[in-house]
Amino acid sequence: MSLIEINNHNFILHPSGAIFWLEKKTLFLADVHLGKVAHFRKNGIAVPRKAEGLFYEKITKLLDDFTPTRIIFLGDLFHSEQNNEWYLFESWVKKQNLEIILIEGNHDIIPKLVYNSINVKILENLIEDKFYFTHLPIHKKDYFVFCGHIHPGVKIKGSGLQQMKMPCFFKSKDQLILPAFGGFTGLHILSPTKGVKVYITTGKEVMEMS
Amino acid sequence: MNKVLKWFKKRGWNAQKFQKECWKAYSEGKNGILHAPTGSGKTYAIWGGIIEESLKMKKHKTGIQAIWITPLRALAVEIQKAIQIMTNDLNPDLKITLRTGDTSQKERGNQKRKPSFGLVTTPESLHLLLSTKDHQKTLQSLKVIVIDEWHELLGTKRGVQIELAIAYLNYFLPNLRVWGISATIGNKDLASKILLGSSKSFVTVNAEIKKKIEVESILPKNMERFPWRGHLGIHLLSHVLEIVKKNKTTLIFTNTRAQCEIWYHHLLDGNPELAGDIAMHHGSIDKKIRLWVEDALRKENLKVVVCTSSLDLGVDFSPVENCIQIGSPKGVGRFIQRAGRSGHQPKAKSKIYFLPTHAMELIESLALQRGIEKHKIEDRLPYLNSYDVLFQFLMTLAVGSGFNQKDLFPVIQKTFCFQTIKKEQWQWILNFLVKGSQSLEYYDEYKKITILENGMYKVINKGIIMRHRLSIGTIVGDATLKVRYQKGGYLGSVEEWFISKLIPGDIFTFSGRNLELIRIHNMEVIVRKSKSKKTRIPSWMGGRMSFSAHLSNLLKNALYEETNKNSPEFRALTPIFDQQKKESIIPKSNEFLIERFETREGFHTIFYPFEGYAIHEVMASLLAYRISLLKPISFSMSFNDYGFELLSDQSFSKEDFLDNNLLTKNHLNEDIEMSINISEMSRRRFRDIAVISGLVFQGFPDKPTKSKHLQSGSQLFYNVFKDYEPDNLLYQQAIEETFEHGIESGRITKVFENIENQSIVWCYCSQPTPFSFPIITDRIRTNLSSESVEDRIRKMSLQLEKGKT
Repeated sequence: MSLIEINNHNFILHPSGAIFWLEKKTLFLADVHLGKVAHFRKNGIAVPRKAEGLFYEKITKLLDDFTPTRIIFLGDLFHSEQNNEWYLFESWVKKQNLEIILIEGNHDIIPKLVYNSINVKILENLIEDKFYFTHLPIHKKDYFVFCGHIHPGVKIKGSGLQQMKMPCFFKSKDQLILPAFGGFTGLHILSPTKGVKVYITTGKEVMEMS
Repeated sequence: MNKVLKWFKKRGWNAQKFQKECWKAYSEGKNGILHAPTGSGKTYAIWGGIIEESLKMKKHKTGIQAIWITPLRALAVEIQKAIQIMTNDLNPDLKITLRTGDTSQKERGNQKRKPSFGLVTTPESLHLLLSTKDHQKTLQSLKVIVIDEWHELLGTKRGVQIELAIAYLNYFLPNLRVWGISATIGNKDLASKILLGSSKSFVTVNAEIKKKIEVESILPKNMERFPWRGHLGIHLLSHVLEIVKKNKTTLIFTNTRAQCEIWYHHLLDGNPELAGDIAMHHGSIDKKIRLWVEDALRKENLKVVVCTSSLDLGVDFSPVENCIQIGSPKGVGRFIQRAGRSGHQPKAKSKIYFLPTHAMELIESLALQRGIEKHKIEDRLPYLNSYDVLFQFLMTLAVGSGFNQKDLFPVIQKTFCFQTIKKEQWQWILNFLVKGSQSLEYYDEYKKITILENGMYKVINKGIIMRHRLSIGTIVGDATLKVRYQKGGYLGSVEEWFISKLIPGDIFTFSGRNLELIRIHNMEVIVRKSKSKKTRIPSWMGGRMSFSAHLSNLLKNALYEETNKNSPEFRALTPIFDQQKKESIIPKSNEFLIERFETREGFHTIFYPFEGYAIHEVMASLLAYRISLLKPISFSMSFNDYGFELLSDQSFSKEDFLDNNLLTKNHLNEDIEMSINISEMSRRRFRDIAVISGLVFQGFPDKPTKSKHLQSGSQLFYNVFKDYEPDNLLYQQAIEETFEHGIESGRITKVFENIENQSIVWCYCSQPTPFSFPIITDRIRTNLSSESVEDRIRKMSLQLEKGKT
């Protein structure tokens, strides 16, 4: 885990790819792509079902560790149209005693009404204390932006021609892109420029790279 | 055989013995295989029998009666023309049509309404035909299927496609005759058996035409500046220009399409007078241009054509006088085949020049010459248990007429590829297709094949049917985009990943022209001509070929035998050998050479078994694995046909390596399997498997979001299978292919037995040696590590590069 300070607020970067905002007891997750495995399976592509299941294990652990009062999904919570995965999500939501907000992403095509029926609030974006929360990685004057969408990763190399591609938090001056929280998702490799900070997530550790 | 014989005589031809043998066997209703080289008259040897029989029938039933399969589209065009000529003269009512990936939708419709007597097609198009609902009716009059150039198909998954198609056709057409045509290969008996089955009687006809082949290495005047690595060979351009000048027509064979483009440009730059007399031919160039080139070659309108394997086969170009092979042809068989493109007239001598792209390839030239002398042609290894192809085939049937699993299982078992398939694997496959390999859970909505009430396995979902039809085929490539001028006119296709690196305004070379990218629209790359000299050349992904066992033996002999020391190739190599001996040795037959040196990149350890790429890939991973058991260490491995490299940031000592007996043949198979699991070498194999089996759907433009949501990379699938379903047959297939295909069974054990009888020579070198150079500079690498991810990351740093963010 890694603690960073932005605009005098404290954020914990978690090895799973989640962020916890200490002052507001809020947990952020981006690009979960729930139902992706089910969507593939429904269309005749046999991805092992277990690839999906990890979300609930991972999030239960996060809730135990941080006891947040609010969860904000930064877009692409569900991968595509509604399928049976929805019912698992619904029953999980019903067991939670906290506020759940979804900031709409490009994959979120399940109607608002359906979310509202299980008390999940849908927003286009959210502004709080000079922070701007959204799905697409944009820049906004006078605000620090938290976003997702691109599933950031970096290529790292070492001597002996070693190289790897790893998911990461990608932080520039006024923006932080979260890695995809979902299991069955790919990586988009970014090239850090000057002033960018990269925090690789291995699942076990968050490692700041320079 | 009266009519056909008369036709031959009228044309002033003498029917050859093998042709008469084929006609006779065909008239007796037999199956058979004809071993004959390209350009020997093999097409008429088979078609003559078919047409003669057609003359005996008073009235023809509607429906296709003869199918002719060729591996290449270019070849299909040629065959169709040739047999239509014979048919027009002898039985003018019969039509022969062509059906390949190039055939328009309209033409396909015509073929369906009015089926022709003969159909020339490719394995993929045949499978597409089997995916139609009423294919059994369409094919009910089918009498014969001919598999041309079987040796080319055999060692590929398209060969498995053929095996499945024939077994299936036989199932509802028990009297179907099967004929194969194959060039000479090492394992020709096995090749026949795979095609024709062992239980049935079939005839073997050999066309004994021995052609004289002359090989000459193109040697640079000054060896001192001969590159130690490289794959282009452009430094020998002036020699090539001389050869081109001297001869009427020259074919230049390159191994990759990029190499082809580059050579075309350099030839034209080197001698601008060639403009108009030079052309290029490779698989990504538009069909119209390819056909034009083939035609111009025949009419002697071209002086030189730069090509890839696209011109390896069939197509008769009598005027070709010379061939030049750029870089290693990887096998004696392929080399002979290419040499055979010249001097096409019977009894004419074939001449081929070998142009080494780096010094080590000169030894290869010698090896190839010895191979030709001894007529040592390699085996083509058939694939076994290619579940990916089977999945595709079952889907092909299921989207059309559907299948009954009880009837189909014995059909599948009859193929060579799946001869050992067991009931439980069959059950697993059916379960994968029907339930997505899971036990049924109430919320699982898996949908692919549905079992109907009558027991038929069938696909009902229209989207699944469409996606399957669009992806039939086993030649795997990246999604390709068509290249077209703004004002119209197609040039060919390039792979998407190349174009995605360009932005509008960038210049690239394609089809021999410099083109400016205007925009990408609807899977089309819109371009205009450009005069700019700054240009990029697309590269096409392609599998790497490995030396055959024959060639590696020939290579070792070329290196060891004293008699070779006086050859022009060895004399040319003297300065390189001297340099090699300064730091290391030139291994003798009883020595196993290992070199160690340190560079900025880390510690290099190079091993030289001279066994070919495929064996080295497995050996490298095996040794890396065994060393990694001694201590946490990470390796980057690279391999070529001569040897392989283990590169690491920390050193392991000679003593550690030798004292622990890491070159032992004990526990060989277990260790190999472990190493392949850890090194993830099978990742690359899995890419093809995922596409063929239909896991990865490439996606198409202008399709609704829902279809876009189904796009995913094969790597992601590899990861989830590895983590959650390692017993998945497709994942298992990737592992088996990594260490079985391309390696004759038991060969790896022999290699290690051989090493036990050699003395190991470990040389510490102060700098890279000439032998090591092509290996250490290769950037296509695999990793194997016994360190934790976190530990590895701690030693690394971010890669900063220009690019999109």
